[in-house]
Amino acid sequence: MNTIVRKQMSIHPDVMDLLNNQIAMEMKASASYLAMASWCDQRELLNSKALFYKQAEEEREHAMKIFEFINDNGGAAISPNVTNVNNDFESLLSIYETALEQEISVTQSIFKIFKAARKADDFITEVFLQWFISEQAEEEDNFRSILDIFGLMEGMPLKMIDERIPTE
Amino acid sequence: MDTNIGYQIKHLTFCKYALKTPNKTIALSFPQMLELRRKINELTSYSSLTNIVNNDNFVLLFVADKEHLIFLEIPQLLVLKEEIDLLFHTPVSLFV
Repeated sequence: MNTIVRKQMSIHPDVMDLLNNQIAMEMKASASYLAMASWCDQRELLNSKALFYKQAEEEREHAMKIFEFINDNGGAAISPNVTNVNNDFESLLSIYETALEQEISVTQSIFKIFKAARKADDFITEVFLQWFISEQAEEEDNFRSILDIFGLMEGMPLKMIDERIPTE
Repeated sequence: MDTNIGYQIKHLTFCKYALKTPNKTIALSFPQMLELRRKINELTSYSSLTNIVNNDNFVLLFVADKEHLIFLEIPQLLVLKEEIDLLFHTPVSLFV
């Protein structure tokens, strides 16, 4: 990577575009978790509520991490539009299933940027994204474990299932 | 139709660039260049080009922190996109 703009920015411009898309994705995920938290909060599902509020914060932190990374490396971070957030859910189980699907999409998107960074010899972004890959593996595992609880406690009252949801 | 209607980007010094238009030359800093790249990429997406063609067939674009306004028809828009791609992707050794 030795282009004319290399002295201005340390990351590859095409990779920067993908990182900006990732910011939008993380902010959308944050908004989506907030909607899930609200659904749980209205139904007094206290542990799920706490977990989704925390997830909403975490996703925003991820977005901010990428945002600052782009600007710190000479690029231009773009504050995204967040639209079409779903606030309508049918059950707590469907919320957790949606959450897992959302995390898988985020992981896939990070893999895509990682591959693009590697292809463009953008080693700075590649190293930066390693933390996100470990983080995503952890996030997916958390939601899979929760879905296992639903499987194990099938038929039990929702409130009892919620009490088994880990909050830390 | 001549599509090379005088839109050109020059790298002047370490952090100064110039956008040559048929009427004037606009000095750009690197962040302003990044913003121009973002706008041009957005305007040249398939859906955006279709939208332009189906409406006015031209766009007005603010550049250099809204200091200048430029008028671009589709061929000029595409020329400018190529110019920007060239600037951002050409290795130093090949850049003239």
